Amino acid sequence: MNATLGRFLILGSLLVSTTGAVLGFAAGAKRSREGLKWTQRFAYAFAALMVVATAVMEKALITHDFSVSYVAQVGSLSTPLWVTIVSLWSSLEGSILFWGFVLGLYIAAATFLTRKDHEEYMAYSIATWLACASFFSFLIAGPASPFLSVAMPPTDGPGPNPLLQNHVLMIIHPPFLYLGYVGMTIPFGFATAALLRGRLGLAFLKPMRTALMLPWIFLTIAIMLGGWWAYEVLGWGGYWAWDPVENASLLPWLTATAALHSAVVMERRGVLKGWTVTLIQGSFLLTILGTFMTRSGVFNSVHSFTQSSIGPTILVFLAAVLLGSVALLATRIDSLEAEGRIDGAVSREGMFLLNNLLFVLFTFTVLIGTVFPLVVEALRGKQMSVGRPYFDSMVVPVGTALVFLLGVGPALPWGRASKEQVRRSLLPPLIGAALVGIIGYALGARNAWTLLTLVFGGYAAQVTLAEMWKPVVQRMKRGDSLVTATVQAQFKRGRRRFASYIIHAGAVIVIVAIAVSSTTRTQREVSLARGQSASIGAYTLTFLGTETRNEPNRVATIARVAVAKDGKQIEVVEPRMNQYATMREPIGTPAVHSTLAGDLYVSIMNLDGSGENAGLLLLITPMVSWIWIAVLLMGVGGVIAIIPTRSAVTVLEPQDSAAPAVAETAALT
Amino acid sequence: MNRTVLAIGIVIALALVVVLYFGLGKDPQHIDSPLVGRPAPDFALKAVGSDETIDLAQYRGKPVVLNFWATWCRPCWDEHPTLTATAQSAGNQVQFLGVVFQDDESKIVDFLRQRGWAYPTLVDEKGKTAIAYGVGGVPETFFLNKNGTIVAKFEGPMTPDIIEENLAKAMR
Repeated sequence: MNATLGRFLILGSLLVSTTGAVLGFAAGAKRSREGLKWTQRFAYAFAALMVVATAVMEKALITHDFSVSYVAQVGSLSTPLWVTIVSLWSSLEGSILFWGFVLGLYIAAATFLTRKDHEEYMAYSIATWLACASFFSFLIAGPASPFLSVAMPPTDGPGPNPLLQNHVLMIIHPPFLYLGYVGMTIPFGFATAALLRGRLGLAFLKPMRTALMLPWIFLTIAIMLGGWWAYEVLGWGGYWAWDPVENASLLPWLTATAALHSAVVMERRGVLKGWTVTLIQGSFLLTILGTFMTRSGVFNSVHSFTQSSIGPTILVFLAAVLLGSVALLATRIDSLEAEGRIDGAVSREGMFLLNNLLFVLFTFTVLIGTVFPLVVEALRGKQMSVGRPYFDSMVVPVGTALVFLLGVGPALPWGRASKEQVRRSLLPPLIGAALVGIIGYALGARNAWTLLTLVFGGYAAQVTLAEMWKPVVQRMKRGDSLVTATVQAQFKRGRRRFASYIIHAGAVIVIVAIAVSSTTRTQREVSLARGQSASIGAYTLTFLGTETRNEPNRVATIARVAVAKDGKQIEVVEPRMNQYATMREPIGTPAVHSTLAGDLYVSIMNLDGSGENAGLLLLITPMVSWIWIAVLLMGVGGVIAIIPTRSAVTVLEPQDSAAPAVAETAALT
Repeated sequence: MNRTVLAIGIVIALALVVVLYFGLGKDPQHIDSPLVGRPAPDFALKAVGSDETIDLAQYRGKPVVLNFWATWCRPCWDEHPTLTATAQSAGNQVQFLGVVFQDDESKIVDFLRQRGWAYPTLVDEKGKTAIAYGVGGVPETFFLNKNGTIVAKFEGPMTPDIIEENLAKAMR
């Protein structure tokens, strides 16, 4: 019953999305207002069908209806309710349905929010979204159907992938990633519409930028959650391994970040229109590439889905969108005329260009490193892997250069600046640079790249804080109180500017924390008999013995380790190995004692059968938690940037005084 | 028409699609074992349920199927009937050996008593043999020809087809 209903709904969504897409492109070509209205209705209908289909699947999961193929595959009577609910995205077929669900929500929201505006672009935009939607409906209806009927339903199922049950981060990481990945469809639709129309007015930039910012926020947080999960679970003490699937999530993030920056230059100077559109197309294509990477079984990774048959289907879609986008860009890019020009390289816009260049370089570096093993295998039939040395040697200089730009870029004024102006803007932050560099050196940083990152980071931090403070000072000079000035300058008029500096602050902290944590950590591998102690840094660890706990879905072997700092007992940590019945290997879960200064990380390397001896990996990694915190700060900044307010009206108000207006418009960064 | 954009776009698009296309259809989990084509590392391990020590060398002259497994591994349960049945039907022509690692002998004995005990099962006390064979997880199965050379390795549970295909290589 559920299976039949689900199949029926998905066939409906396939029909609605295909019809809506055809109608939308026709309406766009004819500039038909009536056609646009109908296209909007089809968009809502697609969303409704997807939401209902997903609800049907959730109902089937919760009621353990094993006659539905997906439930038979991932359901289990013994899993807790929350695991049952989230098992919607624990396996291939369900995750594609979840994709359709998220896409439906995005399309409905974007259609609703633009229902009265941007008429000349919207039919094409919605048509593009629905064309993507029809591909995913097709996947759900055919190659990856979760709604097949099981003739002889089993009485119980195996339950979802143990990794999903092993850590709470694994439950929230996937939805964030989907919200980021799927959301890139919306700016892609806008960009495609601009290309098809052969015009990109500045008014249309606003929804395009918001549509890009929202998935960017989700993707930023999703990448961090993935790294955090790896750190908390995989047991080697790192958070990033340049695994193909990690790279797959980073690639669209890099191009989207570049696009958010080039959009600013476009807004200010009327240039880089074609380039911004190209970056947006690229971001969407990279999400499809990422989907292919995780679901085709081509790449080996901790989180690839097992071998599946949908790889070729996704590849066909990727190839079609890729070639279609190239053709569209080639034929229409010249019609997106520049309205202004860039004067002078040593200016804010010059730094924006450099930023874009670096992000694109970063993207290609990661992309090449990721697919290179496939090239070698295709050409020479040999297996190889591209590891950390390649990525580190390529990415560290680019990352360092980006911190440099985080400081110098916002410090420089827009347009042509005199030498005196340049000197006045660039010199003061050297104080921050020196300060942070010296502190880092005093605390033991010796790696040249790390020191350089600290110096640039200090510079950028001072610039960021000064730029945040500047409009407040200007308002206070006009007689506003500190509170009024802050509220007005940061949350009302200059909100986007304020938001971008919050994101910058987060980015500076993230890069510094990555540099410090990856180059200054202390590592010890110890073998302890029960009662024996070992010390690392200020910590002394005593092995208390092991115990085995039988938990409903797994058997856990736990090493109990007492931790003392400077001679004072603080905690007993319990690194463990979880053995799930369905896994070939046990999943370790290290114990992490986190402080702002650094983390103590205890991971089991081996345990002997008697429980009398344990091999432990001990790590002290400074500043790791700053990465998680600072990424959240970036997310908060992103949210501040896109909260809808009535500021669209205020922008049109006549400016009552020149000074704040300068700071605030200068600020559209 | 902007030819530069077209040319750059097409080069990138085609290169990417072609590379990904060639990547389809292979198993990324699979790692070529450097041991294939080399003599199997020797070992002498105690057999489960007896005091006898079994030396791999004593089976020279006969193909050997060497299966690493454990009672806590679910896929190993799935392949056990297949291994047992094939071992019984192969009779004296092929030697099957099980090697259990990270496990208790009592659990192994219970398991074999309940599910069939067709060939010697050895205990890899400290996992040394598994390390020598580069075992990444269980189950993992090695096929040795009569000269004691490893001719094939398979990761994951055995099916009748997989055993047959790899045994053919070992019998050659």
